[in-house]
Amino acid sequence: MTDHRWLELAAPYALRALDPGERADFEGHLAGCAVCRAELQSLRETAALLAHAAPAVAPAASLRERILRDARGVRPIGRRRARVAPWLAAAASLVLALGLGLAYLRQRAALEHTGAMLAARDSLIATLLSPDAGTAALAATGQAPSARLFWSPSRRRVVMAVFRLPPAPTGRTYQLWAIAQGKPVSLGTFNTSPDGRLIAEMALPDGLKFELTAVTVEPAGGSPQPTQQPFLIGKVAGD
Amino acid sequence: MAAGDERALGDLYDRHGAMAYALALAIVGERADAEEAVADAFGQAWRQAGQFDPARGSVPAWLATITRTRALDLVRARGRRARALARAASEIGEGLAAPLAAAGDAPDRGVERAEARRLVVRVLAELPELQRRVIELAYFGGLSQSEIAAELQEPLGTVKTRMRTAMEKLRGSLAPLLSQGES
Repeated sequence: MTDHRWLELAAPYALRALDPGERADFEGHLAGCAVCRAELQSLRETAALLAHAAPAVAPAASLRERILRDARGVRPIGRRRARVAPWLAAAASLVLALGLGLAYLRQRAALEHTGAMLAARDSLIATLLSPDAGTAALAATGQAPSARLFWSPSRRRVVMAVFRLPPAPTGRTYQLWAIAQGKPVSLGTFNTSPDGRLIAEMALPDGLKFELTAVTVEPAGGSPQPTQQPFLIGKVAGD
Repeated sequence: MAAGDERALGDLYDRHGAMAYALALAIVGERADAEEAVADAFGQAWRQAGQFDPARGSVPAWLATITRTRALDLVRARGRRARALARAASEIGEGLAAPLAAAGDAPDRGVERAEARRLVVRVLAELPELQRRVIELAYFGGLSQSEIAAELQEPLGTVKTRMRTAMEKLRGSLAPLLSQGES
């Protein structure tokens, strides 16, 4: 049974703009209503075309490499390998097994998301607890914000905890540097949440030994070398 | 991953990577985060290729949906909702069409994509102002209908009607792109 009221929910659902209660109701209805499913599919395609309205900005060439690198060693699930290459290669004319339904896909995405968050947290804790963990406290050259850095050369990871640092202004980002023999090496960009805090993990270049760490404000995307005076500086503790 | 598969993933990126990146950047506002969202999205698409069902939609729509979801998740995870909103609002102030018209230097790969862009931008610009704002706040800002109503200080019923009307108009005007399927 399809009535007007249900069909009206297809457009906001396609935009993911329904409030949670209505969304759950509509998903329940969707399972048994082919008319609404068809309506939803065409509105979804329409919504996806809105992506073309985004201002065109070219991605960095390195993004392609990163995606290919990430995919190496990861086998697509649910497919026999032999059929994967022809599919993606002929991305224009796909013929694949039937999908498993919207609800399942959503649930799966939610699970994946949770799994990824847990994995990130595990990695962060492992870095903090590793036997070779180093630490540095970064103090502001002026006032207020502070940060503490933990790193593990064996895991090649850095964990950064930042306090009382307001989010960077639009178009700018914070960037963390390791100063090795006077030469700054970027460890990555970051931003804080509105409450001024951040705990994040970043990669530590293999074999990098550094005597100082510093944070600068840089244009969005970060800079190859600092363009500003650091406002947070920390000495490596211990030796 | 076999060499052939890697090439295939590269092809997929070459076809749709620029679209996905522009979309992610419009949502998250920072290059590093946009790259992360796109890398996540292609990773997910790669892992879940087996679940893709061409009967349910086109490849670019599938990728755009995954990318948008990842980008909106990232905005939320970083607690940048307020800033994303402010950005969506300022885009609306200028009208999305303005920065787009100036983006002629974009290294679009396909002619079809440039054509798709022109049509989508024009059709959006032709919508009545409030209908366009509702669509932009929902799609790029990730707001729900009641959040949009609060943001625009309009009755919820009005927002619902505008969203539905706008989507129906978009579907009608964008039909040439929809019927092509995979573009």
